[in-house]
Amino acid sequence: MQRLRGLFRGWLQGWLQRRMPASAEVRLGHRQIFILPTRAGLGLLALLAALLVAAINYQNSLVYALTFLLFSLFWVTLHHSWRNLAGMQLRSGGVAPVFCGEQAALSLWLDAGSRARSALRLGWQSQQRLTLDVAAGEPQAATLYLQTTRRGWLYPERLRVETRWPLGWFVAWSLPALQWQVLVYPHPLQFPLPVGGSGADAEDGEPSALEGVEDFAGLRAYQPGDSKRRLDWRAWSRGQGLHSRLFTDLAGDSCWLSLDLAQGNDLEARLGCLTGWVLRLERESRPYGLLLAGERIDPSLGEAHRDRCLRALALFGNSP
Amino acid sequence: MSTPGELIPRSSLAWLLVAQLTVILPHLPRLPLWAGAFWLLCVLWRIQIQRMRWTFPSLLIRALGLLLVFGMVFSHLRTLIGLDATVMLLVLLFMLKLLEMRTPRDALVVIYLGFFVTATAFLFDQGILLTLYQVGVLLVLVAALVGLQQTAGRQNPLSALRVGGMLLLQAVPLMLVLFLLFPRIAPLWAVNAPGSARMTGLAESMAPADVAELARSGALAFRVSFDGDIPPASELYWRSMTLADFDGRRWSMGAPLLSRVSWEPRGPQFDYQVVAGASGQPWLFALRGASSNDPGVLQTADFNLRARAALNAITSYQVQSRPQSLLQPEGLNAAERARFLALPEGVDPRSRAWAAELRTRHAGDADLIDSLMQHFNREPYHYTLRPQPLGQHSNDEFLFDTQRGFCAHYAGAMTFVLRAAGIPARVVAGYQGGELNPRGNHLLIHQFDAHAWVEAWLPEQGWVTYDPTFAVAPERIERGLQDAVRGEGSFLEDAFLSPVRYREVGWINQSRLFWDDVNYQWQLRVLGYQSEQQLRFLQNWFGTTDWQRIAIWALLLVLLATVPVVLWILRPARRAADWRVRAWQRLDRRLARIGLQAQPGEGPRSWELRLMQHLPGQRAELKAFFEQFVQVTYAEPEAGSRRSARKALQQSLRVLLRRLPRRRPPQPTRVLDEVLSSGSQPPL
Repeated sequence: MQRLRGLFRGWLQGWLQRRMPASAEVRLGHRQIFILPTRAGLGLLALLAALLVAAINYQNSLVYALTFLLFSLFWVTLHHSWRNLAGMQLRSGGVAPVFCGEQAALSLWLDAGSRARSALRLGWQSQQRLTLDVAAGEPQAATLYLQTTRRGWLYPERLRVETRWPLGWFVAWSLPALQWQVLVYPHPLQFPLPVGGSGADAEDGEPSALEGVEDFAGLRAYQPGDSKRRLDWRAWSRGQGLHSRLFTDLAGDSCWLSLDLAQGNDLEARLGCLTGWVLRLERESRPYGLLLAGERIDPSLGEAHRDRCLRALALFGNSP
Repeated sequence: MSTPGELIPRSSLAWLLVAQLTVILPHLPRLPLWAGAFWLLCVLWRIQIQRMRWTFPSLLIRALGLLLVFGMVFSHLRTLIGLDATVMLLVLLFMLKLLEMRTPRDALVVIYLGFFVTATAFLFDQGILLTLYQVGVLLVLVAALVGLQQTAGRQNPLSALRVGGMLLLQAVPLMLVLFLLFPRIAPLWAVNAPGSARMTGLAESMAPADVAELARSGALAFRVSFDGDIPPASELYWRSMTLADFDGRRWSMGAPLLSRVSWEPRGPQFDYQVVAGASGQPWLFALRGASSNDPGVLQTADFNLRARAALNAITSYQVQSRPQSLLQPEGLNAAERARFLALPEGVDPRSRAWAAELRTRHAGDADLIDSLMQHFNREPYHYTLRPQPLGQHSNDEFLFDTQRGFCAHYAGAMTFVLRAAGIPARVVAGYQGGELNPRGNHLLIHQFDAHAWVEAWLPEQGWVTYDPTFAVAPERIERGLQDAVRGEGSFLEDAFLSPVRYREVGWINQSRLFWDDVNYQWQLRVLGYQSEQQLRFLQNWFGTTDWQRIAIWALLLVLLATVPVVLWILRPARRAADWRVRAWQRLDRRLARIGLQAQPGEGPRSWELRLMQHLPGQRAELKAFFEQFVQVTYAEPEAGSRRSARKALQQSLRVLLRRLPRRRPPQPTRVLDEVLSSGSQPPL
């Protein structure tokens, strides 16, 4: 039974893949939309059967009329449910990297075209679904949240877009494979910084004084990635342009982080520990470098540097 | 529908309460007063739950509520079975369901129950006004369904109403076609007409008081429309049943006759259609010498028409009558003769003696009957709706002491005397006369037109009709009851509100007759649209009786009702107004089919370059099109060249479209791709 189900699921995925190949943008047409009556719709049909029997037995034209009107309504809503999805365009937007265990915020652009769409539900199985209306005209942005459980690249499965508009008697849905990819950093763990911790093969050979006082060394023109806290706002307010302040330790006093220094029972915990340190050192504006197997990131500071380190940590090992 | 844990939002609850009120309203007159109080209690409780003041009732309280509902129905109707009890139970449970309504799913159940309760109201009343009202109820129910689907926080009652109304309108064409074409089959099992016990109308046995009861009712019994001229009022004797058995007080129908129908049709024929209301009885109404081709209509051995099943709904049927026909002229068999001469022992000795005396004076039956009619005419008999009560020998006291009564008294007494004199006779019960509605050219026969007359069997002539009332009060027959009892003012004296009572007031009568005509058409064309009418209608309409051809026509009708609606619902998004945008979109659609899409906001130049990477074989055509496009879009063309610019753009588009490949082109080299596309690439 289990194997059969697995076979079926595989076949279904293949079929979906052929029908709706992965793409960054999907327009929902008749090949992409499925539609079936809901339980509420089937309940209505049962009600109509009862009404029909009453109409026949009492030879009551008005009960006949009511039955037929509700049936016609059922039929009309079939088309409305379908239409509520047809012609929609979905485009995956960017995703900011997240730490494992947090919810990734996936941005999505919805283009309703010239018709407004009502009560669309978007989401993944077993996850919180987002319900929203999309007005006609300009594309509208939406943010979907996806729980992360593993570091590395996350490729969300097919998004389920469904609607039961207008009466809940039919559910029309589509399973577009939008090309999102989410970089999931290891979950940061809080461990004390290694005292005087530095890599054994640090260039200057001299352990950096992690608790040392930073000395102001000068200014340099702002470069993207420089920490905001190091910007010289006073100079900026004087109209001298944006500058970053440089400190002495940026040049020499730096600390190296490596798996050997990290605490934790297993690799994931160690990576988490390193992640926690990177964040802390960045927050405290103390330059840090990262040594991982096969990768060496020289000590520096700034968001770009931090992200580079976090990315290396996220993709460490067998993650693609 | 949403996740099960979700609660009903306040706006939806308000909708549901309004919907429930509108659904229950038509049932209120049939419910006891405290049912309204019960509903208010349920509403109050539910609102308090919404305000977090009270909680949902426990299982025990709900069970008690259920018991209470059953108790209420039983105490009101003294029964728990039958349609009235079922509907009352349904309505009360519908109210009680409010206290169980937590989630949108429960709300759905309430709305479905609402549909059902709405339908049951039609079992009791099928008037136009109720029907119009119920359309409104349906709109509110559908809007409530829409409200349940609306996105949380964006619920809008007005837009829900608008959507509901639009859906209902779009459902109407298919509904009409289904109504016309859905085969009307016979009832699957027998059911009782709702409230049949309370219906007024003729019964299978008759004492004078019963007819007096009918004479006080201004309700409509049936309507008739003639294909040709309408016979004069004095010939409009609408037979319903014959009463053969007398027990000293009541005439009753007794066992049906088993002999076959034997008659000789004679004289002019009248064709007409009768529309009768739900009487709960099978007896129909027709003039003398009637037959019908409708399969649901039977001719009885006493020359009446009856339906195969009791009339539980408005029924219409076609009749041909030849009033001058001879009925059973060849004679009665011994059993029949004995039955139509039978009289109970020990009642009315004076009438018997008078009959014997008449017999000795007149040898011929016809002579005897003539002298009897003259007796009624000559002696001081008086037609009144307020007769004195009669004792044990009712016919004796009526004929010789009080001499005051109405049709039932005269018909009963005359039949008694004829039988005592040895002439087979029976009472015929039915209606006499009718009011012409000039607007629809049809006759209205009210309950107060109920009448009883006499049929006597004479050799060679068969059953001959005599009406002693005509001998006493000819104005009753010629002009109707209102004139006959004008002196005593007893016409509909209890029915102050009946518009029939005021029919001598011009404008009241005009509007009454107008409304009557509307109702008649409604009954005839909508309510009476059952098996035979459907068959007749379809055959007239399609001009054929061939079922295959009718089926083809039916299919065409269904298509006619559905295809335009679908096309309207799925109408494509409005076309872009600008021809340049249209050309751009056309190319976009074609390229999308082979997997090429412009980046959002991508300009023509960059798009062209990217396309050239993907489609190296079509570079020339791409260049031509995009050059034209940029030319006509960004450079203001001169007035005269506009047309030619448009032509040129369309031409270059056509060439390009023709040359585009049918399949997805191979991916260009990765380096180029990364350079040219600004979006992130899928992992490979």
